[in-house]
Amino acid sequence: MELPAGIRDEAAEHAYTPGSAADFERLYVNTYRRILGTLITLVRDIPTAEDCAQETYERAYRNWSSWRPDAPAEAWLHRIAINVAISDRRHQRIRQAGELIRRLGKPSAGPDPANVAERSVLFDAVQKLPTKQAAALVLRHYHGYTNREIAAALGVPEQTVASRLATARKQLQAVLGRP
Amino acid sequence: MIDIERELEDTLHRVLDPITARPIPHRRELSTGRAFRTVAGGAGAALTLKVAGAVAALAAAVTLTGASLTGSFNPVDWGQQVSATVETCRDNLNSSGAHGIGGCVSAFASQHGKAVSSAAQHHGSGAGTGNGSTNGNANGKSNGNGGAGNGSGSGNSHSNKGNTKTQTRTTPPPKS
Repeated sequence: MELPAGIRDEAAEHAYTPGSAADFERLYVNTYRRILGTLITLVRDIPTAEDCAQETYERAYRNWSSWRPDAPAEAWLHRIAINVAISDRRHQRIRQAGELIRRLGKPSAGPDPANVAERSVLFDAVQKLPTKQAAALVLRHYHGYTNREIAAALGVPEQTVASRLATARKQLQAVLGRP
Repeated sequence: MIDIERELEDTLHRVLDPITARPIPHRRELSTGRAFRTVAGGAGAALTLKVAGAVAALAAAVTLTGASLTGSFNPVDWGQQVSATVETCRDNLNSSGAHGIGGCVSAFASQHGKAVSSAAQHHGSGAGTGNGSTNGNANGKSNGNGGAGNGSGSGNSHSNKGNTKTQTRTTPPPKS
């Protein structure tokens, strides 16, 4: 059935054929901003988030032919992105240890303020949470996923998602000094 | 909704929306760039350097150990000498009925230490007085009397935790 002019067919727009290069390009355009939004919360600065986003799509493209349309493509991408962020955080910790030894106590210059997202106590606190907790918060409170969708995206039981969200909220409340 | 949840949503949208509203960049082509940077840059480079250093140090240690045991820097010689020594020790043990090859092989190493020490003595005694240093345990004194003259020589090796210093004093040969 043809839709009236001006109304988009979202189901068709988000239907992708695994292995199709054209469909992957469409997936990239449709989801890039949301994936980047998640990654900015999980890594230390914007250039790193952009780099991780590109890494996410590289990994996804390598496995594009084996993607199964029974799960939303965006949830699949989020799962890859969170793994990329976890990997980046691990490398960042190693790099920081190396830099600390090289500097031998001299204070670091710190990141370029232009590359850092707007500062806020709450946002800083979210960035300091463990990656999986922060990811659950962003998927829930920024992208509007339900706990079930988050569970599907992360490949964990719904109870685990609820537990991570509750723990994360408690930590944020403690940081903000709220009861 | 709990206050903190509403505050969280507001904060996330306020911080993230301006950034995600930027134009979408071109998708990066498949490459190994990031993986290469991970290995070659930062901590990866430091780790690679450390591993390379450790390998070099290990190779040097093996070379010095082999050379000190056999007196040759050729690894083929090390294997041949050690194999020959072990075979000899085994034959001796079989013929004597004793057990344990360790003492015999250890004796070889000790003898070799003396030999190297001796070589160091000769090397250092060209002008009558010399100092040589080597690894191993060696102590020796010798006195000799000739028919028409007197000759004496002494060689002392002082071992300190495997590091032996050898001092040699020689006297002119007896006049005939």
